[in-house]
Amino acid sequence: MSPDEVLRFSGGALVGHRLRTALSLIGVAIGIAAVVLLTALGDGARRYVLGQFAQIGANFVAVVPGKVETTGGIPGLGGAPNDLTLDDARALERALPGARHLAPFVVGTESIEHGDRRRQVLVAGATAAFRDVRRLEVAQGRFLPPLELERGAPVVVLGHRVARELFPGGSAVGEVVRVGERRCRVIGVLAPRGQQLGIDLDEVVILPLATAMAMFDRSSLFRILIEAEPGVPLESIRERAREVLVARHGEEDVTLLTEDAVRDSLSAILTALTLALGAIGAISLGVAGIGIMNVMLVSVSERTGEIGLLRAVGASRAQIRACLLTESALLSGLGGLVGLAAGWLGTRVLVRIWPALPATPPVWAVVAALVLSLAVGAGFGWLPARRAARLDPVAALARQ
Amino acid sequence: MIELERISRTFQLGDEPVHALVEVSETIARGEHVAIMGPSGSGKSTLLHLLGCLDRPSSGSYRFEGREVAGLAESELDEIRQRRIGFVFQAFHLVPRLDARGNVELPMIFAGVSRRERRARGDAALAAVGLTPRASHRPAELSGGERQRLAIARAVVMQPSLLLADEPTGNLDSRSGGVVLDLIDRLNDEGLTVVVVTHDPRVAFRADRVVILSDGSVARRAPRAQMAEALAAWGLGEEPK
Repeated sequence: MSPDEVLRFSGGALVGHRLRTALSLIGVAIGIAAVVLLTALGDGARRYVLGQFAQIGANFVAVVPGKVETTGGIPGLGGAPNDLTLDDARALERALPGARHLAPFVVGTESIEHGDRRRQVLVAGATAAFRDVRRLEVAQGRFLPPLELERGAPVVVLGHRVARELFPGGSAVGEVVRVGERRCRVIGVLAPRGQQLGIDLDEVVILPLATAMAMFDRSSLFRILIEAEPGVPLESIRERAREVLVARHGEEDVTLLTEDAVRDSLSAILTALTLALGAIGAISLGVAGIGIMNVMLVSVSERTGEIGLLRAVGASRAQIRACLLTESALLSGLGGLVGLAAGWLGTRVLVRIWPALPATPPVWAVVAALVLSLAVGAGFGWLPARRAARLDPVAALARQ
Repeated sequence: MIELERISRTFQLGDEPVHALVEVSETIARGEHVAIMGPSGSGKSTLLHLLGCLDRPSSGSYRFEGREVAGLAESELDEIRQRRIGFVFQAFHLVPRLDARGNVELPMIFAGVSRRERRARGDAALAAVGLTPRASHRPAELSGGERQRLAIARAVVMQPSLLLADEPTGNLDSRSGGVVLDLIDRLNDEGLTVVVVTHDPRVAFRADRVVILSDGSVARRAPRAQMAEALAAWGLGEEPK
């Protein structure tokens, strides 16, 4: 008896019980669809987060003054950390040929006013490179011009919402606003960007670095962002920057953060989440498997007479077992395909509803779902198939 | 063809051993037509199952076509049932989801006969029992007589040497029962060995001889000429209700 004969015979048995077949097929389909949909969701969340990092430009090292570490020293004796200065920034620029952009900046809050409109904003003092490192887009006008580090200029770039609120219905570019005590000309407005890792870039105004430092009466930088040239490992930039600053300050009093460390751990967490969601889907698949077993057991006891007859006409126990296993594998395999289609459709719907979520079922999940569904059929079909194969033909024939 | 020597079959029913057959010896020659009769529980069906290699004797020797059945592996018994023995049951045992053609082809599927040959042999078998016009009807759409003729076609489609029939007319009216018995007679005339278990003397009278069982043993053997007297003596001469 060739495999395709087994397939035809078992398929015929399934077609002979349409409702029962359809119901257990749906059971498996729901399980598989759940696996596909849930893993697509989890993986979509992971890729959404990674996408956010890519948008910010995660390929940079952030130099932060002070050692962000708890040490056991006596307070006061370690001395206050050295400021992170413009000279430090210049030294880093000279020492790091692998750096594509180097963006020192300061932040503070100030009031901004135009006419009778006035509000508090987050003020960033930055250089032209800030735009490249943070991947900022300018909607109108232009960004800060390239200036010497210590040169200021009475110009300002407004965040999207700040511009809208100060100049409702009008264009801000070319107008003069007052930031703190200083009058500055608006040279550009940023494109809407929204919340990003906790900072609302629409609520920011950006001044030239020296102008802001003078405004805040500050000589220390808030941070220096160093973006690596493509292909240059961040780790090497980080180590080189550390050496330069330790040499300059005589001690290690800065912290060098790479965002990829954060990104990697977030990605790992979200991968674990995806796996957990997949496992939840797999549970429903297990339930569907029990359903298949139940249906097959009912089917075997209903067809006891038929099985006896098959034995009488010379079918072997192995052939009976093969037919019933094929039957349950067909049930679950077809259910798997239906579930895959449903899961794919569901994913499309999800993407319709939340276009920001790049939800596609991961390939491993699709493969695992199909393998799993066949395994469910074979695994949970085993007991009924064995029971059928072990039937005593005489007793089976006596049953009506 | 069939040689039984002191065959016994004992079932365990709870703690009680039930002796369904006790030291039965019987020889059936090729081409014979033998009826097995006896009251309910006399061991008729057990004997038929043993003859059909669906069951094995507890003791004794059964030689089928010269081979000792007790020593055969299960796969060899499967093969004997597949190729050498055909079964006909009182309840027909047709597969309801398959049409007449599918039912006839069933034994050939498990024997690995090619699809094309299956079709040819199946159609020939249907034609031989006069069911060609009903080939694509399911069992539920056939009359009782047609169902049993279909079952006979299925039993002989592998061209066996032995046909075993268990109350083949038990579920039929006398007219269609007669048609079925005519068919069995014809197959016997063509050389098929037939063993039929029955309560019905009309079925037994078609046979060359009768073997009457009682309490698992052979109580009497009678050729056709003495059959009426033998059946009457055992109270088996009445037609069943």
